[in-house]
Amino acid sequence: MVLVSSVREYINRMLQDISGMKVLILDSQTVSVVSVVYSQSELLQKQVFLVELVDAILNSDESMSHLKALYFLRPTSDNIQHLKRQLAKPRFGEYNLFFSNMLNTTQLHILADADEHEVVQQVQEFFADFVAIDPYHFTLNTPSNHMYMLPAVIDPPNLQTYCDRIVDGLAAIFLAFKRRPVIRYSRTSDIAKRIAHEASKLMYQQESGLFDFRRTEISPLLLVIDRRDDPVTPLLNQWTYQAMVHELIGIKDNKVDLGNVGKFSKDQQEVVLSSEQDTFFKANMYENFGDIGMNIKRMVDDFQQVAKSNQNIQTIEDMAKFVDNYPEYRKMQGNVSKHVTLVTEMSKIVEERKLMLVSQTEQELACNGGQGAAFEAVTNLLNNESVSDIDRLRLVMLYALRYEKESPVQLMQLFNKLASRSPKYKPGLVQFLLKQAGVDRRTGDLYGNRDILNIARNMARGLKGVENVYTQHQPLLFQTMESITKGRLRDVDYPFVGNHFQQGRPQEVVIFIVGGTTYEESRSVALQNSLNSGIRFILGGSTLLNSKRFLKDLEDAQRIARSSTGVV
Amino acid sequence: MATRNRTFIFWRYRDALKSVRAPTSGRSHAAASSGGGGPVIEMSNATPFKQTRSYAPVSTNDPGTSTVGTQTVGLPPAWVDVSEEISSYIQRARDKMAQLAKAHAKALMPSFGDGKEDQHRIESLTYEVTDLIKRSEKRLRKLSAGGPFEDSTIRKNVQRSLATDLQSLSMELRKKQSNYLKRLQQQKEGSDGVDLEMNLNGTRSLREDDDGFDGMSFNKHQMAKLKKSEALTVEREREIQQVAESVNELAQVMKDLSVLVIDQGTIIDRIDYNVQNVAVTVDKGLKQLQKAERNQKQGGMVMCASVLVIMCLVMLLLLILKEIIF
Repeated sequence: MVLVSSVREYINRMLQDISGMKVLILDSQTVSVVSVVYSQSELLQKQVFLVELVDAILNSDESMSHLKALYFLRPTSDNIQHLKRQLAKPRFGEYNLFFSNMLNTTQLHILADADEHEVVQQVQEFFADFVAIDPYHFTLNTPSNHMYMLPAVIDPPNLQTYCDRIVDGLAAIFLAFKRRPVIRYSRTSDIAKRIAHEASKLMYQQESGLFDFRRTEISPLLLVIDRRDDPVTPLLNQWTYQAMVHELIGIKDNKVDLGNVGKFSKDQQEVVLSSEQDTFFKANMYENFGDIGMNIKRMVDDFQQVAKSNQNIQTIEDMAKFVDNYPEYRKMQGNVSKHVTLVTEMSKIVEERKLMLVSQTEQELACNGGQGAAFEAVTNLLNNESVSDIDRLRLVMLYALRYEKESPVQLMQLFNKLASRSPKYKPGLVQFLLKQAGVDRRTGDLYGNRDILNIARNMARGLKGVENVYTQHQPLLFQTMESITKGRLRDVDYPFVGNHFQQGRPQEVVIFIVGGTTYEESRSVALQNSLNSGIRFILGGSTLLNSKRFLKDLEDAQRIARSSTGVV
Repeated sequence: MATRNRTFIFWRYRDALKSVRAPTSGRSHAAASSGGGGPVIEMSNATPFKQTRSYAPVSTNDPGTSTVGTQTVGLPPAWVDVSEEISSYIQRARDKMAQLAKAHAKALMPSFGDGKEDQHRIESLTYEVTDLIKRSEKRLRKLSAGGPFEDSTIRKNVQRSLATDLQSLSMELRKKQSNYLKRLQQQKEGSDGVDLEMNLNGTRSLREDDDGFDGMSFNKHQMAKLKKSEALTVEREREIQQVAESVNELAQVMKDLSVLVIDQGTIIDRIDYNVQNVAVTVDKGLKQLQKAERNQKQGGMVMCASVLVIMCLVMLLLLILKEIIF
């Protein structure tokens, strides 16, 4: 609840002091920030009658001076330029400027210079600089996400922009919570170290006045880790509702675009999947596919009951009751058809791509199983005609990540087979992945085979058997959270920044994964929070990954790395 | 949640830069700087209702300044008046509904009098509220028609918000009415055991009485009672009829409104969807215009005209040739 409610509070405060008819002007990033927490009808209630993008404002000379303008923008140089132009020729009665992060003095000077007509009533910094998709999960939607995989020498300015965006987002999170954290980062990752140090510099030196909050005994913890410590989770196919929709169809800012999947009527083309607004989704977002099917069937049955009773109108009282309940009925109908459509589409995709077969092998590669059996299974699936290219690629990657050191001959065989079977495969991609996220580069114990304790635990789990073969994988994040809960996060693996130190367990932990989070991990966090262990975890990432996105980032990074080594 | 106010620093910079730009006019702004940017006339309507929908048309600074040129006295367009009117209707309807609620409560209380004035008052109030709602809905439908294109999104949104208000108002009214009716019927039923008054659901008790009185003839007492019960039945029927009528009217209004009102939780309720849609519609509009332009250029008219002009020239040429040769 905390992330969503912070952003909502900021927006409420923006709107509350300004009376009369208003226009809200956003940029392409803040429109995501606002749309996931505030609905159009709520804006209308607060008399915001127009929402526009700052770069798409119609250049009409029509003056709408009966409207008051509210700008909510990120403080980027592009936005400042847009503002400069619009302040020179003001269209609205008054201008209230809100920025989602800190302005520097140059930008203030530019704005002050541009405001010749003196229409600006206030300039405020409201730190809602992150997209709060779930109560404990946020993302920053950074463009060019693949930058984190490239060494700094290749493209310093873009990498700096990337890091700046992340540091701004983290600063905004802690300003929204009014806390200043102790920062730790993943040892083997340069970019995590860089971000951690820059964030610390911002919070403790550059803007220490702004971050000087009332100190509690135990500061919260900010843990910056690298996606490449756990490359397995984004590659796996998912079977819990929210993660599955994102993996098979794709969710952006809690919206699902069904346009690519099939032909739908206009109002079913895009649907909203938000745990805040949809109680059925909230109850089922972490359930696995089988259970969802049953719950949806139950929902459809309930709905049919209601529909039947609605057709049974005999007296005036019945009619009155029907008209009373009509909005509810319509809402229920829309909701039922939305979930039924989603599940139907996903079943179709599972059927087409033979995902049940593929996923079984994937899970075994990720969790347990011997090398020989794994090799055979992967080879069989590679030979299988109905397995799609992307699934073949994922299988080989998972195999390579697990058995990269054992039996290199068989590994080469798999590479060759993959290259021969998939015409669009960019050669060397798997090797690139191994170079980025191989066993030498990872912090932590991804497969539970380094630490004696982990080995023992795995063996015990193997003996006990699993409830569901398809959901047996636990992301590495789960172990990290457990270590934090027990206070046993190793300093060697996750050092502190500078002279920070933490005694005892923190009560609030923000884990930021550079490179992106997955919905499987956010599910892990939500389940951990529901255990009420006294620690509240919040997860964030530079973007939201599914296997397609992760592979795209890899390809982009490989392409750039290749072209730069060609030049150098 | 932390925020930071940069307004004062901004104003300081603005004044400093202004004095650099035009040192003569620095004086006239000294007073304005504390109040914030130029005298703005706040023309808040003398509104009888509590919702503050005041507009603030911007008038310029003192005419003596050189930097600010044109006068931009912005009066809101005409449809804003219509929307103001509608919201004043809604507010009046709300006030009347509060009065109606009180009247309902009073009528339900046991009283010695006939309760006719209470009934009458309730009827008139109900009628007024329904009338206000119907009128608002008519004006609302006219709101979107006509007017400049740039305003259309704003008008649509204003329409939507008023429609939501109206719908919630009419649902409230109907709920109040049905509650009142229910409690009234309960009351009448309850007093049946004491009073032997007839009502729709009380036919059972009447039949019991009938059975009881079966063998005996109707005496005068029972005749009088029967007449009174008949009169009451007729009146009851009339009341129910009226309520049913107003329910029907409101149902009609709601049906019309539900087209305008946004369903919460759907994609239409998302801000980014609406922002994109505007861009897409504008784009599409542009494409249509371009296509129309192209079609017009290729149109038959242009062809015809050019063919005719060419033929004229040819004829002229032939004429000149004829003259030269002959």
